[in-house]
Amino acid sequence: MLKNDISNRSPRNLLFLFEILSLSLVFLYDWGSVDRATYITAIGLVIIIYLSNFILNKISKGDSYIFLIVTMLVSIGVIMVYRIDSQLGMKQLLWLSLGILIFYLTYFVLKFIRGWKNWIPLYLGLSYLLFFLTFLLGKRKYGAINWITIGGHSFQPAEITKILLIFIIAAYYSNPEKFSKYKYAPYYIMGIVYSFIALLFLQRDLGTALIFYAIFLAIQFIYEDRRILILYNIILFAAGGILGYVVFDHVKIRVLTWIDPWSYIDNKGYQITQSLFAIASGGFFGTGLGLGHPEFIPLSYTDFIFSAICEEMGLFTGIGVIMLFMILVYRGFKIALNQTHKFYRILALGVSILFGIQSIIILGGVLKVLPLTGITLPFVSYGGTSILSSFIALGILQVASEDIDTREEAE
Amino acid sequence: MFNFISLVFKYIFIIIIYLFIFSIIRLIYLDIRSMDVSAIDGDAYLKLINRIDKLPYKIKEHYPIDGELTLGRHSDNDILIKDPFVSKKHFQIVEDEGDYYLEDLNSANGTFLNGERIEDVAKLSNGDIIKVGNIEFLFVNRE
Amino acid sequence: MNSEHRRIVLVLIALCIVFTGLIGYMSYFQAFKAEAIKMNSYNKRLWINEENILRGSILDRNGKILVYSEKHDETMRRYYKYGSLYSHIIGYSYREYGKAGLELSFNNYLLNINDNSALDELINIVAPRTIGNNLELTIDHGTQERARNLLKGRKGSVVAMNPKTGEVYAMVSLPDFDVSTLRDDWGIISEDPNSPLLNRATQGLYTPGSVFKVITTAAILNTPGINQEYLCKGTTTIDGYPFKDYQNKAHGELNLKNALAYSCNTYFTEKALAVGENKLRETAEGFMFNNNIPFDLPVKSSSYPKGNIGDTDLAASGIGQGKVLTTPLNMAMVASAIANNGEVVKPILVNQVVSSTGKLVKSFNTETLSQGIDSMKAAEIKEMMIEVVKKGTGKNSSIKNVQVAGKTGTAENPSGKSHAWFIGFAPAEDPKIAIAVVLEEDGSTGGSSAAPIARDLIIYGLNNIKF
Repeated sequence: MLKNDISNRSPRNLLFLFEILSLSLVFLYDWGSVDRATYITAIGLVIIIYLSNFILNKISKGDSYIFLIVTMLVSIGVIMVYRIDSQLGMKQLLWLSLGILIFYLTYFVLKFIRGWKNWIPLYLGLSYLLFFLTFLLGKRKYGAINWITIGGHSFQPAEITKILLIFIIAAYYSNPEKFSKYKYAPYYIMGIVYSFIALLFLQRDLGTALIFYAIFLAIQFIYEDRRILILYNIILFAAGGILGYVVFDHVKIRVLTWIDPWSYIDNKGYQITQSLFAIASGGFFGTGLGLGHPEFIPLSYTDFIFSAICEEMGLFTGIGVIMLFMILVYRGFKIALNQTHKFYRILALGVSILFGIQSIIILGGVLKVLPLTGITLPFVSYGGTSILSSFIALGILQVASEDIDTREEAE
Repeated sequence: MFNFISLVFKYIFIIIIYLFIFSIIRLIYLDIRSMDVSAIDGDAYLKLINRIDKLPYKIKEHYPIDGELTLGRHSDNDILIKDPFVSKKHFQIVEDEGDYYLEDLNSANGTFLNGERIEDVAKLSNGDIIKVGNIEFLFVNRE
Repeated sequence: MNSEHRRIVLVLIALCIVFTGLIGYMSYFQAFKAEAIKMNSYNKRLWINEENILRGSILDRNGKILVYSEKHDETMRRYYKYGSLYSHIIGYSYREYGKAGLELSFNNYLLNINDNSALDELINIVAPRTIGNNLELTIDHGTQERARNLLKGRKGSVVAMNPKTGEVYAMVSLPDFDVSTLRDDWGIISEDPNSPLLNRATQGLYTPGSVFKVITTAAILNTPGINQEYLCKGTTTIDGYPFKDYQNKAHGELNLKNALAYSCNTYFTEKALAVGENKLRETAEGFMFNNNIPFDLPVKSSSYPKGNIGDTDLAASGIGQGKVLTTPLNMAMVASAIANNGEVVKPILVNQVVSSTGKLVKSFNTETLSQGIDSMKAAEIKEMMIEVVKKGTGKNSSIKNVQVAGKTGTAENPSGKSHAWFIGFAPAEDPKIAIAVVLEEDGSTGGSSAAPIARDLIIYGLNNIKF
């Protein structure tokens, strides 16, 4: 009995140890300019995380591992962001605190308000509204128009649309009776998803478009009865991809830069080559926090956070991060398999696939396995909206990990 | 000086992270080992409510009820619980014409149905909670 | 229910496979590709310590200083003492133009930057590093100078090395450029259509022509049962395509030794067919064709065509034409292998790295890369190469008291005039120096222009190099 108890507590304690040590190191690095507010926020966050991992067991009868895994990812990320830029690090600490709050909020809202699967029109409306706003108010940042600035704060609407997409797809596939009336329903849903992808394409946010497509394809593969539609989907996308490459220069540039960045090393290929230099310089154990040069990597705190982690904390830490994502995705799928309520099951699947695909795309991009896209590594990269939407997704997963009474739904 | 500390810490961090990963994997593995997925497909079953890793003995999360089901400390039982609190033959569930009945087999510390100690036999409905000592089961009947 | 479960598990497995693939790729990357990738002049990490650390000096095998740095006020200045002589070997290190040559590949040694370990760091706190390490090369300054003078006025390359140890005594590539005035001349140099920045010895791929026949000879010796006799009529047709000897001269009855000595084309085209494309390719690969040559500077791989190539191409390959391409360094290694009982050794440019206090930091030793041919057959080929110099096309490389072994080549070049080649070694009984000379688009024969250069250089080398 004692052994079980200890091993249950130990990941929590290991996490705590890691946070304390790494925070001390980073503060030592930044010795002159650390102010009281930062200390307090940091210590506060460490305490909140420890307590959350502890309380969550009591509050929710569902999964207790996903939050644990996420908090480790979050810790590694914020340490790196803080080391790169202490201002951003401070902001990240705040965003994380907000994120954990949002996590609990999402959990309670989703758990106690019912009828989510009936509100497709609402989701559709919100999604198109967000797209509309993006085109109206959006500003181009790093080549893609996916930021809106309101009152001095900027946020990415696409992050929210991502969650809405999962709700839409889940609502559609968990109501087969409702939609089988319409003969062309599957085509409508495909049309809607493709309209999203097209809008994202126009915004030049190729990475998010790819994520949308992957989530849709996967869920369609699992749930669509008319299997031929999956084939149509794949062909359509392949055709679209080739067309995009031929017609649009910016797509062509991305692919060329991916295949041979060395020829474009001083303009388009600069980012990816600097990322490769960083990873190569880190070796297996890294240079040590504060001893590497992530400042040479452009956008090291968002898209290339993984390269910075590999440089200073070593390839082994990088592999550790990938393993954490893999366990998170596995856990999400397990939660889905155990969930008997179809809507929440598909929600869980959607969220797990989201985490999996998004991390794969950006990890592949910075390693030059895939063309580079401007998306963030969930929980690890700096980015307010990214952190918030990731925690919302996590909240969804947490709810889905519990037993949902199917009886109540029928009423 | 900082350089030296950072260099030492980089190894420490990697060790901590991997210990963390492995302890989580181990916990998950323990979960799987006691999971019996096939039970979901059955008609009626008992589902364990307690957290499986908090219990010191080997126990599963689902026990399908195939006509009848017994629980006790003796190895003859369908559900074997090695706890001194549990009697050698503690209770049994029997199926009769589509209905399920819970019978306490003169156990020392009693069997509780929805919080009340049962005398002899009681009829089970979907959603009932059966409690023996610290252990709680949910009775699920899919009919 | 079941098929839904199955599909879900399928998607999960797919994702896990991708994750595992990423982990695998990362490990592969770090273990095998990281070193090469780091050595790029766009990697600013190479520059971080430039201003604080005195970059090490580079010396020739006799201790003569070729390049050194000095601190003036706040900046470091690097002095390239011999202008253009070492432009391709040592290269340059300038903030604006990056790094090249040994300045690039040995950058970390020159700046004494180590992959930090905790112990190093501890030492650094006590005694901070501010001086880089020095490189002691295998190059002999006198030989390098003489080689460049011999080649002057032409385009091409000369490589001289020790066949048994792999030490490179001289490596010249012309046209070259003056490193010390690089800042002023950069525009002209980088725009020059003759590519002075290109190190032709390691990066220039040329059609070898008849010097390749040494390899074909090795393949013939390795094909038991082949008829080594041939009646040369001056021309032959293979699959409709005509092959001719030099000036259509018919050599008459030939055995292998004479065929090599007189460099009979028709002999080697016919025998190449008899050897077969697999055997010929394998033999070439044993002499490092299609293979990566490990060296202190990046080397382009020589190529011998792979796959089914058809009789005409096979015949052309037998005489070093067609799609066969090679670097001068590789051909010097081929000559070295014959001189060294058939063993191909790794070429070495840097002998050792020594700290500013004289402590040995790293030493580079001889390594065998491949057994191109067994020692008995190598001895046979050596005899044939002696015959080339005594009676055949290589007479211009003969030296009065020293027996030279060699092979000439005049490679047809479809896009211009022919290349003149010579490869060889001396003294034949106990070879100390192996040479490859190529005169790019010279239009003359290897025997008339390349052989005399090799001869002069061998004489100088044997008299002056401290082996």
